[in-house]
Parts: sequence; C-alpha cells; structure tokens
Amino acid sequence: VNVRKIVTVVEETLSEGGRPVEPVHRVAIVLAVIENPWAGQGFVEDLAPLIDEVAPELGELLADRTMEALGGPAEAYGKAGIVGLAGELEHASGLIHTLKFGNFFRTAANATTLLPAVEKVAPAGAAFDIPMKHVTDYTIRSHHQSVTVAVPDAPRADELVIGLAAANRGRPQERLAPLSTEL
Amino acid sequence: VIRKLLTVVDEIVAEPGAGPAQPVRRAAAAAVVTNPWAGAGLVDDLQPGVERLAPEVAVALTDRLAAALGGADAIEAFGKAALVGTDGEIEHGAALIHTPWFGDVVRQALDGTSIIVFSDARGPAGTSLVVPVWHKTAAATRSYYQTVEVRVPDAPRPDEIVLVCAAATGGRPLARIGDRSTDTATVRLEDHRP
Repeated sequence: VNVRKIVTVVEETLSEGGRPVEPVHRVAIVLAVIENPWAGQGFVEDLAPLIDEVAPELGELLADRTMEALGGPAEAYGKAGIVGLAGELEHASGLIHTLKFGNFFRTAANATTLLPAVEKVAPAGAAFDIPMKHVTDYTIRSHHQSVTVAVPDAPRADELVIGLAAANRGRPQERLAPLSTEL
Repeated sequence: VIRKLLTVVDEIVAEPGAGPAQPVRRAAAAAVVTNPWAGAGLVDDLQPGVERLAPEVAVALTDRLAAALGGADAIEAFGKAALVGTDGEIEHGAALIHTPWFGDVVRQALDGTSIIVFSDARGPAGTSLVVPVWHKTAAATRSYYQTVEVRVPDAPRPDEIVLVCAAATGGRPLARIGDRSTDTATVRLEDHRP
C-alpha cells in the first residue's frame, strides 16, 4: 500500500458543561492517506484480491498507532473510510468492512463488538464524524459518541483516507439511564 | 482553566506527484480556554489575565508537542497562534501569545532562541488555522518555512480563545529553493514594472 501521510489526532476534554471531566476524556484518531488501490481501473468487479493484500497491512498499522496514541485501554472504538472523488464508495467499504482489517484493532483493544463506521465519497478537507461504541457491548449507551476530524489536503481524487478512533471512556458527562431501564 | 486540548501530528511520507520524501513530522497542540475578558467591555490592563493564563497554557501545549514528536531535542522548528471567538478582541489573543508569559515558556520548553512566528484570527467554532513555523534557533533558514493546519471542531465558542503551539522535526519534505547564502541574483523592482 502506498501511504502518503499519516495523521494522528488526540483530543482531551478536561471540562464540559462547566464542570471538570474526571478522568479526562481522551480520544485518539489515526488516519492513513493512501493511494486508492483501484484508481484508474474503471469498474472492478472483484475487489477481493486487493482487499486481501491491503486491508491487513492497514489494519495492523492503524490499530497499533491508535492504541499507542490513546495511551491506555480503549472502552469505545470506531472506524472510517473516506473515498476521493475519482473513486467508488465500495473501495473504502471494501478495505474496512472485513475481519482482515478490523480484527487487528479488536485484538489490540481487547474488543469483541462490531466496529461502527463512517464511509463517504468526499473532497479533500471534508470533515467526517467517526462513530464509536463500547468495545464489548454495543448496547452500553454511555459510550455512544463520535469524533470529528478532517485532513486538509486529503483525500485527493485518487486517494482514500482510512482511519480508526478509540476513546478511553464514555461521553464526558454521560448521565443517561441505561437502555435496560426502558425495556 | 483549559476546557479541551487537541494535538494533531502529520507524518509526511510522500508528496503528491513527487513520490517519497524525507520523512518529516509536524504537530500542533491547541488549548481551548475561556476568554478572560469576554463580556467585560474594553479592559485596559490585560496583564493580570495574561500572567494567570498564558504560562499554564504554554506548558500544557509544549508538553504535548514534546511528547508527540519525541522530546525537545527532536523539535527543530516552532510557531504559535491564537483564534479568538466571535465575542472577543484580536487583542485578547495577541495578549495571550505575544508576551514573555507565553513565548519565553515556549522557548525554554523547546530549547529555542528565535522569535516565534505566529498567526491570529477571529472566527466561529471549527475555523481552520494555518500556523506558521520556522527554525527555533535560526529563523531565517528558508527550508524550514512551513505551516501546520489545525482545527478544533467545537471551539472557539464566542467567549473562548483557542491557543496553539506548533512544531516540526525538520524542514519541508522536498526543500530545494536554496537559501540566502545561495541567492546570487540581484532582483530590482524597476526591472519588473510593466
């Protein structure tokens, strides 16, 4: 995989609603800007060969870096695939919606649940919101959250931005009744 | 004092159309604080607010840059910026970054001696700031002129200020425009007026 750039973002929320957040809410996001492996090939019917080649390499790189940037256990996680304007939505989906990509993150985060995702075709600089849910139980309401990121010069038309996000806890001032109280 | 901190690290591996580049890492750390003078009208003496806020923020920002880039020794260039929320004066941002209470802390933390290049602006939450950086001990080094772009999606609110410190581990990825020492041409304005 041809990587042009790797962007790491760490957000720390120390205060929300005028009150301290304890422990500090941390989110780590790592985004790889890569050449779209299917760029210039027209409609490719079988995406599997390049998925098999590229997805594990990206999955491992991003999982390790995301956990390192978070600097502690992940309680919520999610993923993103943004396609440059010359590409097809299916290209990003192909690389992120496979166990060959996600299992690296699942292992690194001691996680079991499916990774929520954002996928879209967009110009360079487009902001996107990465959804995150609890790493072992996607019904845990306190951990439903998302984080907004953008890469100013990516994705270029024939690039993809593939990323992972992890949070160290639920929302900064989470105080909603659990799902079970409404069932 | 600080509501939120955002640290972004760009690791440039290749440049479009040019292929692999000398890897360089650039980072910006941003702190979101409440504007101490918002809603107070024209405050003549900004110094008390500066002394209370600027050093603490400078420490938080340079700690994060050093952690992100591998320590002060790995950092070769630096810069700073302020983004004032829409209810504040540009002077409020200037006060927090253009005095020794911020700049001297940054120079000491990152082991630099240069004057620190800057940008400032006022805008709504999510405004993107392009933060210039240059060499931390030799400001005129042309190959180090570059910028780091940073954006905090939910800040500044109208009564907040985003303060930024940026740094790089080297110059531009494929710098090749010479320097003052290699400029041989004498460029005269009158030769270029139509």
